[in-house]
Amino acid sequence: MSQSDNVTTNDAPSPLWQWVALIGVSCLLAVVISPFVWAIMSSFKERGDIMSPGFLPRTWVFQNYVHLLTETSFLRWLLNSVLVSVGAMALGMAVCSMAGFAFAKYKFYGQTVLFWTVIASMSIPPFTTVIPLFGWMAKLGLINTYPVLILPFAANAFGLFMMRQYFSTLPDELLQAARIDGCSEIRLFWSIMLPLARPALGVVGILIFIASWNSFIWPLVMMRSEDMFTLPVGIAGLNSEQSPEYGKIMAAAVLSSLPIITVFFLLQRQIISGLTHGAVKS
Amino acid sequence: MTSPSSILGKAGSLKRASAERRLLAERITPYLFILPFFVLFGSFWIGPIAASFGYSFTAWRGITPPTFIGLQNYQVLWNDPRFHTAVSNTLLFTFLYVTLANALALALALLLNASWLRFRQFFRTAFFFPMTISMVVSAVIFQMVYAGDVGLISKLGAVVGIRTPSWLVDDDLAVWAIIIMRVWRTMGYYTIIYLAGLQTVPSDLREAARIDGANGWQIFRYVTLPVIRPVMLVCVVISTISALEMFDEPMILTQGGPADATLTVAMYLYQQGFQFLQLGQAAAASYILTLIILIISVVQRLTIGREQQ
Repeated sequence: MSQSDNVTTNDAPSPLWQWVALIGVSCLLAVVISPFVWAIMSSFKERGDIMSPGFLPRTWVFQNYVHLLTETSFLRWLLNSVLVSVGAMALGMAVCSMAGFAFAKYKFYGQTVLFWTVIASMSIPPFTTVIPLFGWMAKLGLINTYPVLILPFAANAFGLFMMRQYFSTLPDELLQAARIDGCSEIRLFWSIMLPLARPALGVVGILIFIASWNSFIWPLVMMRSEDMFTLPVGIAGLNSEQSPEYGKIMAAAVLSSLPIITVFFLLQRQIISGLTHGAVKS
Repeated sequence: MTSPSSILGKAGSLKRASAERRLLAERITPYLFILPFFVLFGSFWIGPIAASFGYSFTAWRGITPPTFIGLQNYQVLWNDPRFHTAVSNTLLFTFLYVTLANALALALALLLNASWLRFRQFFRTAFFFPMTISMVVSAVIFQMVYAGDVGLISKLGAVVGIRTPSWLVDDDLAVWAIIIMRVWRTMGYYTIIYLAGLQTVPSDLREAARIDGANGWQIFRYVTLPVIRPVMLVCVVISTISALEMFDEPMILTQGGPADATLTVAMYLYQQGFQFLQLGQAAAASYILTLIILIISVVQRLTIGREQQ
């Protein structure tokens, strides 16, 4: 990220402007961060305090969090979200890497057509699939079950594309040598190629996890009972109640973001490259 | 007694048999590898996409089997003023959002790319942060920013002594409220992509331009911009497609109101399909949305991607 850093120092403006720029960027950042800080503040306010003009809570209370955890199924939604996202991530990493390997390292009949079908499907809005699937899933009795939230996210078109790109950068000689040694095709994939493709695999996993974790319309349509909601659907539900309790909703917003924010700061490099990789590479 | 040649022959045919098995295995293997992916992809993407096209020519209420009605769904949409509103809202949203998000992201990327700026690495991560918060949670949080009396904006206004309007109940402001929120959430993402593009601009080229007496704007226009054009195309196309499919924000912040001012095609489709159970009509609407997306993407490729060749 810093290849051109040292070369361009001579186009630097005067120190005064450097400070102005720094202060400007900092102010913009403050504006960007403020809604989230505001949510945190509001989540610690008493019910009446939300209406009062101050920014900080007059007294810091945990009642919103207590109410959230005792009166709603928040923990259940969290569990559902984690189960579904981890499930989609694991299954998606498996199917995308296998298919990506086949597209990169074998020649087979129908290869090009299949690959471009997958790529072309990426520009079709997901809303198109929701309508027939709703009818089909209802017939199959899959509405309100976990598989219906896991399976569609596993077949990630972009995941397949990325794995194919990565596998095709690995040398073919590796495969030939292993085949001469009598290595089976499955072992070839599992113990030789897959470990080498770990960076791409991680990125695909993160992509699928985030897509599943954030998805709203799909679980909104497919999940019918409150105990099967995911976090977005549950929180949206709290928000659309007759007299929404803002403190409680903000507590839910903060608490549901915490796991992701923690993961983000631990894996920021991977996550940022995961989310932007595709755009830059394709 | 077996002759040496027959032994050789046997060994040869054995070898051939195993080579054939090997070849067969190699021929079948790729299909086995792609099978799991395509079972899922076929049943959850290709199948439904194709079926949706078929259903768009039927009257389908979910419980009863669909009946063929020809182009009637498309005709109904053509004559439905609410659908017109949804389409024009979506196009307006997309235009404003794409322009604003890309202009801001590019400006921020140019600044964060400057070697003299302190804490650059920190800023890059920090601006990306909103992207990790889910769209639904962002919408819920922004409700607390925009809300009439209890909102952050109205409280800030009270401090300076200004009575700020209620964002979410005003026709024009509700549109901006949604756009600002979306820009807030995604700006850091596009900034990172633009930064990656800016890093490919050769610094000696900029240096040469400077020595030739080009000013900052000229360097940007004639050196930087041509190099980052492909990255710009990607950002514009991605942001356009995502905006044309907008659903979560209006659904949560405004429910499409006030007076359908924030009704998008995706919301219209959801209401027709899952609230009024007009699934055939919703399928037709989804295909019109697909068509709009395809046309706009092609136009963008032709205009922004033009000078690449």
